[in-house]
Amino acid sequence: MQFRVLILSCALILGACATQQGKREAVWPWPEPPSGQPARPAPHLPSEPIPGMPSPIPPGGPQPIPTEPQVTLPPVPAPPPNVPRSAEAISGQAVSSLVKQARAQRAAGQPAQAQALLERAQRIEPRNYFIWSALAQSHLDQKNFDQAESLAQKSNSLARGNVYVELENWKTIRASRTARGDAAGAQRAQERVDAIQQALGGG
Amino acid sequence: MLPRNFKTAAFSALLLAGSAALVAFSVYLLSLDKQIRDRFAGARWQLPAQVYASPTELYPGLSLGRPSLQRELDRLGYRAVPELQGPGTYTDGKGQLQLQTRSFRFWDSTQPSLQLGVKWAEDGAVIEVYDLEAGAPRDIVRLDPMLIGSIYPKQGEDRVLVKLEEVPDLMPKGLIAVEDRSFNHHLGVSPKAILRASIANMRAGHVVQGGSTLTQQLVKNFFLNSKQTWQRKINEAFMAVLLELHYSKKEILEAYLNEVHLGQDGNRAVHGFGLGAQFYFKKPLGELRAHEVALLAGIVKGPSYYNPRRNPKRALERRNLVLGVFRDEGLITEPEYEAAIKQPLGVAGAQGGAERYPAFVELVKRQLRGQYHDDDLVSEGLRIFTTLEPRAQEALERRIVEQLPLIEKGRRLKPDTLQAAGVVTSVDGGDVLALVAGREVRYAGFNRALDSRRSIGSLAKPFVYLTGLMHPDRFGVSTLLPDEPIEVKAAGAKPWAPQNYDRELHGPQPLSNALAQSYNLPTVYLGLQVGAKAVRDTLVAAGYSGDAPALPSMFLGAVDASPLEVAQMYGTLAANGYQAPLSSIREVQTKDGQPLSRFPIKLRQTLPEGPVYLLNWTLQGVLTYGTARAAYSVLPGNRAFAGKTGTTDDYRDSWFAGFGAERVAVVWVGRDDNKSTGLSGANGALPIWSRVMNDIEARGLDLIPPGDVEEQLVDTVSGLRADEACQTGRMLPFIRGYAPQEYAPCAAAAEQGPMQWLKDIFE
Repeated sequence: MQFRVLILSCALILGACATQQGKREAVWPWPEPPSGQPARPAPHLPSEPIPGMPSPIPPGGPQPIPTEPQVTLPPVPAPPPNVPRSAEAISGQAVSSLVKQARAQRAAGQPAQAQALLERAQRIEPRNYFIWSALAQSHLDQKNFDQAESLAQKSNSLARGNVYVELENWKTIRASRTARGDAAGAQRAQERVDAIQQALGGG
Repeated sequence: MLPRNFKTAAFSALLLAGSAALVAFSVYLLSLDKQIRDRFAGARWQLPAQVYASPTELYPGLSLGRPSLQRELDRLGYRAVPELQGPGTYTDGKGQLQLQTRSFRFWDSTQPSLQLGVKWAEDGAVIEVYDLEAGAPRDIVRLDPMLIGSIYPKQGEDRVLVKLEEVPDLMPKGLIAVEDRSFNHHLGVSPKAILRASIANMRAGHVVQGGSTLTQQLVKNFFLNSKQTWQRKINEAFMAVLLELHYSKKEILEAYLNEVHLGQDGNRAVHGFGLGAQFYFKKPLGELRAHEVALLAGIVKGPSYYNPRRNPKRALERRNLVLGVFRDEGLITEPEYEAAIKQPLGVAGAQGGAERYPAFVELVKRQLRGQYHDDDLVSEGLRIFTTLEPRAQEALERRIVEQLPLIEKGRRLKPDTLQAAGVVTSVDGGDVLALVAGREVRYAGFNRALDSRRSIGSLAKPFVYLTGLMHPDRFGVSTLLPDEPIEVKAAGAKPWAPQNYDRELHGPQPLSNALAQSYNLPTVYLGLQVGAKAVRDTLVAAGYSGDAPALPSMFLGAVDASPLEVAQMYGTLAANGYQAPLSSIREVQTKDGQPLSRFPIKLRQTLPEGPVYLLNWTLQGVLTYGTARAAYSVLPGNRAFAGKTGTTDDYRDSWFAGFGAERVAVVWVGRDDNKSTGLSGANGALPIWSRVMNDIEARGLDLIPPGDVEEQLVDTVSGLRADEACQTGRMLPFIRGYAPQEYAPCAAAAEQGPMQWLKDIFE
């Protein structure tokens, strides 16, 4: 008991300094093995290839996910004048307020607090790409580089060509890749940043 | 006359015996002392984790009608009053609803109690949230989250710790008046009290007062599990005195308030007035009024005998008797007494107990396991903030409870033979918003939503089609698939010859139609084209975690999964291929409100966006003209949803999984003994699914094509490119660069001859 008290006290003290990241995947409660239910035997059938059937697509499963084309980038067209430039332009009052508070927390060196505020905003406007972009930055601040990149990609996917938010996202991706030691990937992100900045008039 | 030395010897012997007795007694006292002190310290330490729902956010633009907010406030135990009377009250006034929130320590900050005025626009959305004290509008405020359960130890003691300062004065004073009037003066036991109690009881003709002190009762509560023998009673009396020697009256009173047994909820024992207030009135102890305090003080005497839910009449008499004592002791005035005895018991329904959502709390426990020590969960008073959305949970529960008997009646099934489970999640963040594990929604039994792995039937088909659509050179939404008999032969096994559900052949089918109608043969054809292993990879990429063998039978659903796992898989589709691992927890705080850990949104792109878009576009057809078209008799026609029916062999399992822009819902209906129900996905699970989606006002899909998808007019007869001249033209999505270039016979452009392709190049 005393040991646990000690452990917990340590945890509390640590918790006061920095908050731990709860794991989502590692503890995912996938169910215990089925019990009490008759399992239906799967018919014994061969895997591919099937004789007499049109030849299947060459093995290898689904192709790798095309995250970004490896070909030379076409120039980014200059954005139309009405493209929203910041969260406030597309967000309601509540989300604008939360995003503003999050910015203040981030500036104050409290990325976890900023993240909590942004997640509240995300629940109100789940597809607001500015929120996802800022969430990606909050992960970058906390050195969660994989998540920073994933969330920035998600923001890009929702942004549907909004170059202002894409610029921020590619900067986040560049920083994440640099931090992970992926120089080639960082270079590709840098090319995106350059192309967008050029389209925006030299940025 | 006895010899002198005999006297001396006797005296010595007596002295020796006396000393020995004294030593023995001291040892006895010391052992009691240790027991009671350990227990006292332990009682102050062992605190079950408290589990909270997601808080409701109030802000201008929120689409939450006035009745829905009122319902929300009722659920939180807010009291309707003519004028605001402190935290936890609201006034349903003209033009606006006023409420006073409870102060609450959220994970990120403490929100003090606020007096707010809420106004609505014509369309039913909130238009203003006004801070009445500050005299200014607010951008966003949170209501205190609902306490939905706790994680308590195996022996079942559950409590919500209160400090003496937070307890309304009437509670301890009333308790002392009713149970132990000399509490502030006695030394743990009170012979006078015993005498007085006996006289009072004799006078009344029945037991109105107990003779043991609060201190004795506290000791008794500490060892409630031991049998009550005379030896125990003597031990308790000594322990009471020892307690008084070690601890102050305030400490003993506070321990009593948190320790006393107040009721039973299955195998969960309700201890202390903090949980008692939640359990019986679903609100904090600080908000109880005289008649409610009196009921709790009265129940102490016999929590089961005076159980207000089972024995309301007895409990009411007891409460009014206690109110009489309050008045006689000057704790309440005569008018207050008169008003209080007119009040009904006011006990929250069976739903009022804190253990409202046992199935969801089970999910929370499993997610915490591995990160927190089991012992810490039940003893450290952690505050766990979850993703549960009470509105969604209520809708899912209500529709399952309401629809199952209707389905049984409509299909002439024996009553109470069907079971169901369901899950509602958020699309982009992967939050589990609602979870139901069976039709007895308050019963924490077999958790079908988590542990019942059943064949998913046709719910597997979209992943076959998605695998095909990942090869845009071979398959698009309009590609014709043959609907012809297929026989799959394998060495040493019976040939497999699947059939369509209707046992008919429908001729070549456009891919989108084959899926919308859930035809088996085109699906098997497509699956064999891409291969079982590729389909299995797609299932895994979507979130399937089982180990079903990569065999063609998988195309038609020889894949077992739980409803929660299906929600994960369909959630990945709904989020355009970005998988967010489902989570039921957002944050954990220590019992003092210090942040301990966060569970941030996590995601990873596991499926390509373009093909997923094509699939989701196709899955809309399931509801608009396919196997689930009945959905739009419930859902508004102007909202687009994507989904799939699932029916398994012999109609054992009826599934529906589907989503709009922000919500995924999965419903399973079947029997625990895995016998046939005669239900397809469309007439078992779908009626529940569509009603739940309608109740939660799920937003329809946006369906804005991603960058790598283009739309083109296509002749639905030939599957070739159409133009304005075609009567049968339809805008269809394609992976960019893979739309058909050859014109259909109906197209005006078709007559321009074979040089058209050259023109196209230069366009």
